[in-house]
Amino acid sequence: MITQNIDALSLSELRYVAIKQGLDDAAVMDREDLLDTLKELYEERASSIFGEGIAFSPSTQPRFMNTLVEHDSEQVVGPLPGVQPLPNEYAETRIHLLLKDPYWAHAYWSVCPTDLQKLESSCDSFTFFLRSSIVEIGDQTREIDSYDIAISKEDSSWNINLPEQGYSYLVSLYYRDDKGNDGLLCQSNSVQTPQSYFLTHTEELQTNDDLFTLLFSSLVTKGGIMIDNPLLQEVIKKLDKRMEG
Amino acid sequence: MLNRSSIGLILNAHMPYVRHPEYPRFLEEDWLFEAISETYLPLLRMLNNLRDEGIPFRITMSFSPTLCSMLTDPILQGRFTNYLKLHQELGEKEVVRCGVEDPESLPLATMYLEAINKNLEDYFELYHCNILIGFRDLEESGHIDLITTSATHAFLPLFSQYPSTVGAQIELAVQSHINHFKCRPKGFWVPECGYFPGLEDYLKDEELAFFQLSAQALVLAEEPVKRGNYAPVVCPNGVFGFARDFHLTNLVWSNVEGYPTDPEYREFYRDIGYDLPMDYIKPYIHEPEVRVFTGFKYHAITGKGPDKVLYKPELAARKVADHTKNFLYEIRKKGKDINKILDRPPFYTLAFDTELFGHWWFEGIDWLESVIRKVAQTDDIVFETQLDYMERNPEAQVLQPALSSWGAGGYADVWANGSNVWIYRHVHKAIERMEELAIRFPDQTSLKQRFLNQAAREVLLAMSSDWPFIMHNDTFTTYAESRIRDHLGNFNVVYENMCKNAVNTEWLVKAEKRNSVFPDIDYNIFNPHSDRNRYNG
Repeated sequence: MITQNIDALSLSELRYVAIKQGLDDAAVMDREDLLDTLKELYEERASSIFGEGIAFSPSTQPRFMNTLVEHDSEQVVGPLPGVQPLPNEYAETRIHLLLKDPYWAHAYWSVCPTDLQKLESSCDSFTFFLRSSIVEIGDQTREIDSYDIAISKEDSSWNINLPEQGYSYLVSLYYRDDKGNDGLLCQSNSVQTPQSYFLTHTEELQTNDDLFTLLFSSLVTKGGIMIDNPLLQEVIKKLDKRMEG
Repeated sequence: MLNRSSIGLILNAHMPYVRHPEYPRFLEEDWLFEAISETYLPLLRMLNNLRDEGIPFRITMSFSPTLCSMLTDPILQGRFTNYLKLHQELGEKEVVRCGVEDPESLPLATMYLEAINKNLEDYFELYHCNILIGFRDLEESGHIDLITTSATHAFLPLFSQYPSTVGAQIELAVQSHINHFKCRPKGFWVPECGYFPGLEDYLKDEELAFFQLSAQALVLAEEPVKRGNYAPVVCPNGVFGFARDFHLTNLVWSNVEGYPTDPEYREFYRDIGYDLPMDYIKPYIHEPEVRVFTGFKYHAITGKGPDKVLYKPELAARKVADHTKNFLYEIRKKGKDINKILDRPPFYTLAFDTELFGHWWFEGIDWLESVIRKVAQTDDIVFETQLDYMERNPEAQVLQPALSSWGAGGYADVWANGSNVWIYRHVHKAIERMEELAIRFPDQTSLKQRFLNQAAREVLLAMSSDWPFIMHNDTFTTYAESRIRDHLGNFNVVYENMCKNAVNTEWLVKAEKRNSVFPDIDYNIFNPHSDRNRYNG
């Protein structure tokens, strides 16, 4: 796909790109129509990639994208002898948690077919749910708070919201049988959300201009835009609130 | 001079491992060839000229092990030669065509042809097809410090739960660096600035003294940072961390307001590979009729619209001079503010992908040269490497940096989002199984050793940050996805065979030929209990 600045392309280039993107009418479309259609196409793709609730934030590091379109060449690297396609899941009952950013983790899991059979033979019906827990990790893991997420049997991954900073989280996969009994199937590794000093000490930034300059002057563009980061945005939001107060 | 600001420039040279001897020409191999001809060779020429003229400069450069492997690969060296010769032929044809049909573009066609001829001469006569020699020479003469990065440029925070594997990525990188540059690296480029607390422990074990960080890594730490990003911190274990200056970096890097967006500069996206008729350009693009960039670009950025004016190098050169002045003005302006409140002169860490200069930003190498020349004439600014600074200022604030990256959002979202997060189920499983194999079958010899070594290569290649990055950007996704699937599928061949105490020799011979990176690899590096492995979690 076009990576940037499609407005700069000539009509013949735009037509070439559009044909490669599968737009049948490209040869008869005018420049404006081509631009609108391609932009729409890319927006649709971007939203399908990032999903709902996750802001689309294109990377500013344009590396390795040396052609305008993804080529539809026959040149696809074929598998070597004996190579099988990847399975969708692995035959184990296990859940894994991956920290994406301070507010979100990604959980993926699988349930071993034998565990599923056992469940099916032990009760008439059952459902699955995830329990996301804030925990204190010490000699023994202590749950501080938790919330449940209803999932379907077909689900195998989920983005988990992490509401509090500076805590450890883990996610457990449970079943609930037709009598309302819950059973633990597996528990993930823990992940820790970062704790930031200035998120809880914004008053120091408010009262100390030098400190503010020292810390933030290297984080803003010449045009005054701050580096893209949710925790920094929160610090600034808190500061603004204090100033208003 | 007391208040002398330091520019700590780090250039990261990296390309994913792309090598397909099974095809006569492979489109994605052009990534490497374009980088060599548009960035690495012109950069070497520029740095050598400065050195020859006695202009002082000190910069840090990181070379990824995958790039080093490709730059020294005889097959790719031969193919790069073909690439240069093909482009030389196109250049000669363009000079004739422009002379008749497009005389205004003739000086540009001649300029490109001369650059190709110079590249051919340098590549053969100076470097004997191995350009790493040129960079090693610059290190030996004291002009650059060479450092390494993780073996396959893996985004390490997403693998932090696998200590042996993170350790393997770093230990192998150090080995590769020693093989290529004949000395131990002293610093580490953290791929994508992807830092997680504890990464420094692996670096210390490999005697790596410093690494670079994203701009927000210090201000978001658990303890208050005292000098902002204007001085490094030292992690509790003694390894230094340098956070990059987003403000200064953005003057160059931003595709919205950075210098490279100036209308007088050359437009990257207008290229005769797309503009000229198919019957003329066909021999110089890819089969079957896949239009690609040829490097012959005759237009200036001009503006957002499609009407582009002819590129005028002399106007661009004036802009280079203006942007040099502006950059130094920004440094001085910043220094004036910071010197009032900082207890020592500021050190500005500027970290870039090397390929920005020359390839993406055609005038970038001229700009860099111009900045180095101007700095050499002043006494209030100096180019200084991270190692120089650490030697001069061994005292630094002890601070644990925060989890961070330089990707959009500042964390792992680029490498773990809806488009690519599915890969981790499989890559993590392969890592676990690789560690299991290394424990179950330690110190094998002969065929089994080769089999397990190839498995280790496949796992490492599957960990590369490039594939999820490309998938995130929705470019070349078919290729990126097929690479991930191939490496993991290849690994599974070894795992399943070893579980049956068998070796698939047909597969092994072909896999060794296809993915021949890290010839000296020892799969025992994945064994968390091995005596040779210090990363036992």
